[in-house]
Amino acid sequence: MNENNDNFHELKRLLKLKQHEVPPPGYFSNFPGEVISRIRAGEPAGSQDLAEQLRGTSWLESLLRVFQAKPGVIGGVATSLCLLLLIGVVLADRPDQEPVGILASSETTPESTPALAAAVPTSADTSGIAVSTNPVVSLQPVATLFSQQQNPLFQSASFAPAGQ
Amino acid sequence: MLMPEPATIPDANANAGMLEGDLVRHARHGDLRAYDELVKRYQERIYATIYHMTSNHEDANDLAQESFIKAYSALKSFKGGSSFYTWLYRIAVNKTINFLKQRKNKHHISLDDLDFNAEHDPDLVALVSDKTPQRNVSLGELQKKLNEALLKLSEPHRMVVVLHDVQGVSHEEIADILGCNIGTVRSRLFYARQQLQSYLAEYIKT
Repeated sequence: MNENNDNFHELKRLLKLKQHEVPPPGYFSNFPGEVISRIRAGEPAGSQDLAEQLRGTSWLESLLRVFQAKPGVIGGVATSLCLLLLIGVVLADRPDQEPVGILASSETTPESTPALAAAVPTSADTSGIAVSTNPVVSLQPVATLFSQQQNPLFQSASFAPAGQ
Repeated sequence: MLMPEPATIPDANANAGMLEGDLVRHARHGDLRAYDELVKRYQERIYATIYHMTSNHEDANDLAQESFIKAYSALKSFKGGSSFYTWLYRIAVNKTINFLKQRKNKHHISLDDLDFNAEHDPDLVALVSDKTPQRNVSLGELQKKLNEALLKLSEPHRMVVVLHDVQGVSHEEIADILGCNIGTVRSRLFYARQQLQSYLAEYIKT
């Protein structure tokens, strides 16, 4: 691995040809001016990392810059928004469906499960109980202060002196 | 009546004699004239490195400009651990390698012309003489074949050949620029030369 290996002598001579390749005349006279004018114009240095581009700018500017740089991204976002809107419209137009109860959807019924049978009243038991779609029926008589049916636990007050 | 003072015209050559460190310090504070001087000092080497890696003048021009712009915008992060020149080289090398990776193997050759001295270079004269295996080959054809052979190398191998054999950068500096050890530089150089020699066998006498 000796770099001065004579085997590469001819190759090194050939590589000298590269040193004779020169850009067009006047190229290096204009080069610094172009660099400085690009710096003055505030141009980013070409293919910067996204993180570098986003640094030091507001989130809205950053977002717009991402969209400017990648038209495909804004197309994808727009398509997704349209799809979401369409799904929303379709769902809004559908009539309300009967909610399917958890018990109905499963195979288990109160009869088949003793624990459930105890917890959930059967249809016979619900005759006097109000359900959400039926009128409210009270099982207890309403006791009012001025009704004829007196509550035995309290007596009406008397302001007459004692003994009378 | 007071006359307004004439506007002072900044001397464009005032920075020419300044040390690199002073120029960097001025440029870091936004002095574009100082940075202009830094660009003038290193433009040829940076351009040449990128050009020899891409074999394309337009790409080299774009990448060289972008390297200098990137370096200016990143000057505040330059700690001075290495020389500005090495740091700038590192930016240019990374930019070039990223560019070549994106371009993959789609090479579009756009070569610079050979200067007048090429025809009088004794080494090159010897190469195109009747002593070479391939006779009557022109310098232009040799240039094209050499660039095509270089483009066949992988980027890390091409980079060490360009930096060492074409640009004359030392092994130590290459290791510093590429962020690897000297042993890696030497082994890459040896392998790259072997590859090149096999690609160019009919043009060089071994």
